Amino acid sequence: MRRFSRNVLCAVLLAAPVAVAASPAAEKKVPSKPAAEKKTAAKPAEPENQCILCHGDADLWEGDRRRLYVTVKDLAGDIHWEKGLRCQDCHGGNARAADIKEAPHALEDGFRSLRSIRKDTQSKDYANPPEPVRVVDLCGNCHADIDFMRRYNPSPRVDQLREYWTSGHGQRLKETGDPNVATCVSCHHKPHGSGLDTAKHAVRPVADLASPVYRTHVAETCATKCHANQELMAGRKYHDRPLGHDQYAEWGKSVHAEALLKKGDLSAPTCNNCHGNHGALPPQVGSVANACGACHGKVASLFADTVMKHQFEKLELPGCAACHGKHDVVKPTDEMLGMGGGAFCVKCHPEEENQKGHYGATIAGAETARALHADLDDLDQAIRDAKATIAKAERLGMPLPGPPSDPNLDLALYLRKAFDSQTNARVLIHSFKLPPVEASLKEGLEIASEVQQVAEGALQEYDSRRIWLAASLAPILLVILLLVLYIRTLPPSR
Amino acid sequence: MPESSSRRRWLLRSLQASIAATLAAVFYPVVRFLRPREATSSGAQEVVAPYRPSELKPDAGRGPRPFNFGGKPCLLVLSPDGEKRLAEGQKLLDGDVKAFNAICTHLDCTVEYRPEKADIFCNCHNGVYDLNGTNISGPPPRPLEAYKVTLRGTAKPGETAKPGQEEIIVSRTT
Amino acid sequence: MSPAPPNDRPDATGRWGRLKAFFFERLGLEDLRALAAKKRVPIHQTTIFYFLGGMALFLFAIQVITGALLSLYYKPSPDQAFESVRAIMTEVDYGWLIRSIHSWSANLLIGVIFLHLLTTYIMRAYRAPREITWITGVLLLVVFLAFGFSGYLLPWNELSFFATKVGTAIVGAVPLVGEQLLLLARSGKEVTGDTLARFYSLHVVILPVATFAILGVHLFLVQKHGMSIPDRVAERRGGADKVPSMPFVPDFLVRDMVGWYLALGILAVLAALYPWELALKADPMASTPEGTKPEWYFLFMFQTLRATPAEVWGIENDVLVVLFFAFVGLVVLLVPFLDGGAPRGRTRQVFNVLVVAAVIFFIVMTAWGLLE
Repeated sequence: MRRFSRNVLCAVLLAAPVAVAASPAAEKKVPSKPAAEKKTAAKPAEPENQCILCHGDADLWEGDRRRLYVTVKDLAGDIHWEKGLRCQDCHGGNARAADIKEAPHALEDGFRSLRSIRKDTQSKDYANPPEPVRVVDLCGNCHADIDFMRRYNPSPRVDQLREYWTSGHGQRLKETGDPNVATCVSCHHKPHGSGLDTAKHAVRPVADLASPVYRTHVAETCATKCHANQELMAGRKYHDRPLGHDQYAEWGKSVHAEALLKKGDLSAPTCNNCHGNHGALPPQVGSVANACGACHGKVASLFADTVMKHQFEKLELPGCAACHGKHDVVKPTDEMLGMGGGAFCVKCHPEEENQKGHYGATIAGAETARALHADLDDLDQAIRDAKATIAKAERLGMPLPGPPSDPNLDLALYLRKAFDSQTNARVLIHSFKLPPVEASLKEGLEIASEVQQVAEGALQEYDSRRIWLAASLAPILLVILLLVLYIRTLPPSR
Repeated sequence: MPESSSRRRWLLRSLQASIAATLAAVFYPVVRFLRPREATSSGAQEVVAPYRPSELKPDAGRGPRPFNFGGKPCLLVLSPDGEKRLAEGQKLLDGDVKAFNAICTHLDCTVEYRPEKADIFCNCHNGVYDLNGTNISGPPPRPLEAYKVTLRGTAKPGETAKPGQEEIIVSRTT
Repeated sequence: MSPAPPNDRPDATGRWGRLKAFFFERLGLEDLRALAAKKRVPIHQTTIFYFLGGMALFLFAIQVITGALLSLYYKPSPDQAFESVRAIMTEVDYGWLIRSIHSWSANLLIGVIFLHLLTTYIMRAYRAPREITWITGVLLLVVFLAFGFSGYLLPWNELSFFATKVGTAIVGAVPLVGEQLLLLARSGKEVTGDTLARFYSLHVVILPVATFAILGVHLFLVQKHGMSIPDRVAERRGGADKVPSMPFVPDFLVRDMVGWYLALGILAVLAALYPWELALKADPMASTPEGTKPEWYFLFMFQTLRATPAEVWGIENDVLVVLFFAFVGLVVLLVPFLDGGAPRGRTRQVFNVLVVAAVIFFIVMTAWGLLE
């Protein structure tokens, strides 16, 4: 009986895990993912839209007429198509006409009555170039009409057209009819070979990642076709200043570009943040500080109260950009301040008593600059030293107590306050006055030196380790000595 | 012979004594090592804040300084509901006190709590966050990192703290 | 006439005497004492080599103790490992000491094991009947190298993370089973928290258990067969039994203790004056930094890999180097069976040349690896 019950127990114990593993409960269900919906699939041609029947037939459009070949695929992602607008809403004509004879743009007429961005559709010349002003009128026809736009968006912007005519592009177009000037489609439509867009007739909304004017693409769009094109920009001026073609390259070096493109910070400025969107113009000399001040508020307001600002305006120097650069705004360093090499102050302020500064820059100003630089340097060095000492102590495994004012506080955390005061001071220098800067630096210096003392104290603890070492080596050496003596007393081996 | 054997015995004894001394020199650090240390600042997952909710009131002056949580400064703020409850002398709920990593998401300055303006402000470039830590004005690109807050009646069992005197326990959300 | 051996046996009277007698009776320690008293160690020119085994044992004991102490504070997860080691170094009383001793002693231990291997080879202590002692010894070498490799990852700093990444990648070069081995070693495709947990378990549980088992056999066999005497010494004296010897207790043991205390002193100096660094916390997302190398005891293999061109005879260099060292390892393991011949036989001479070449190779490669 005992053997039987033992066998049964063994069998049960062995079978149990097998049964559990085989049970359906052990099967894991892998959830299936729903197929991703294609957002940009264009809707098929409805019977009301017969334009596509011809214009979507590739065989009909050869050579220089290829530009008239448009398929539904080319409209994928187009915001107008998605909202229900069709060919005739922009180009006119009768889209329902199944028979070409009924369409107002019948063959005899050569489709001339349709609206187009091409110049002079009345002539029989198929290869006529696009006429920019027609584009502006075509788009503005709807986009400047609030009653129309309201249908698609309860609170639309309708001032783009008006802005455009005030911009550098618009003014030039109005005055000279320059065919190379940017119009609506230059930015909103063609991706300029960036490979963004496969749909060649699509105008995407700005928030669409594939739009040429999505935030991260704006600078590339402005640059690639026009503003970085040396031949195109040659000879062009704005108010007697040559436009040049290096802005994109310069901007690419800046912290703004790094923030926008590398760090993905969408609040970082690109061309339109300082120059405007539709009313694109370079900021006036007096307005540069306001452009920068849109984000760097504190600095701009400090600068606005200084003598420098008014001097700069009088001299037609571009405010903040005079020292920080227009497009290649890099991370500022303490070296930019002062009278040393690499500093900006020294460009106007005289270095010695007898020299005359440029534009009335004073020697007192030079002294202030020197003092500011020296003070900033002091704090920077103090913080660096304190950090290095803390690191050394940590590396050696010395325990770091808190600062005397608050022994429970972590020392590295306490040092942050010095870092905060350093940042604050670096902002305050834009007042170009010593007292506020020195007040901010004072706290930082005190904290840094406190930290340095505490960390050095911890390092000295290290010396106490050597004492421990000596103290422990003494008995060890003693034991070794005694052992050797003892060995000598042992009888020699046989 | 007796001389050498007594010498040996003396040697042996001093040997045993000095071996004992070395063992003591070895065991002393080991014993010290075993003693548990205070909750450390680095790597902490949870900490009791050194402030009580009543110290976060607007009329208590400027908000208290950020304290150390896992090596980073931690800021405590009182939500509008919490302020109301505190004013009425009611017990506070967990969501009434919020804790954030006080390092500004713009350029790493330390932010401060402005109870009178009901916001969190960064002095360096005028960055403003609301009391949920969301960046609402100025250059900060992201909200402040939020921590989990639990309010505890009191450390002593059987007692409940007065409203406004609860312990604030801050812990990481992950 | 030599004086009578000293009588150190304690009296069975008095408090201590009675206590001792109590334990002796219950635990049967009398047999142990008789065994120990019988054990003798031969004295000759290379007697000093006999100390290496005991030294390794001593250092291992230090590792076990310091390791156990460290495990009281160490937390084996990626977001806590580095911080816990940092806490040990900066916040725990004498944590810096325990940790630095553990790290230094690990290196010393592996060095001593290499020397022990070399000297037992020189003394031909692997001859019959000690073949299995040799085999268990080689296995122990592998186990201790594994200890070193697994322990190295535990502080989860930049150096150790990437050294582990590179090291486990090389394991993947073994033909046929390489990928499986890599998955097994890394507990996944990449080095992650899972790898850390696996290495921690290896380092703290699996390898210690393996060590105790293999070491147990090794020590038992050493006791059983006694200390081996090199052929030449036996010849010169006219027979193994005519070689002079000293009793293990107390003569050899006392000399052993001198060595142990010297080691202790050296460790104390190293720990106090050259504490083990914390360095930077590992960032798995970062790219492998330049100059990532393993610890010195793996450096000769790593440098060999770096020195061989990417492809030799159509085979990738990892595979070639791994196979080469596996082959060498196999030869080392089987030395007792490959060289069972006469003392000055041909095989022995060939092996001697190979060993000299191997030692030079080891030194040159390690030095080169350190300098690069």
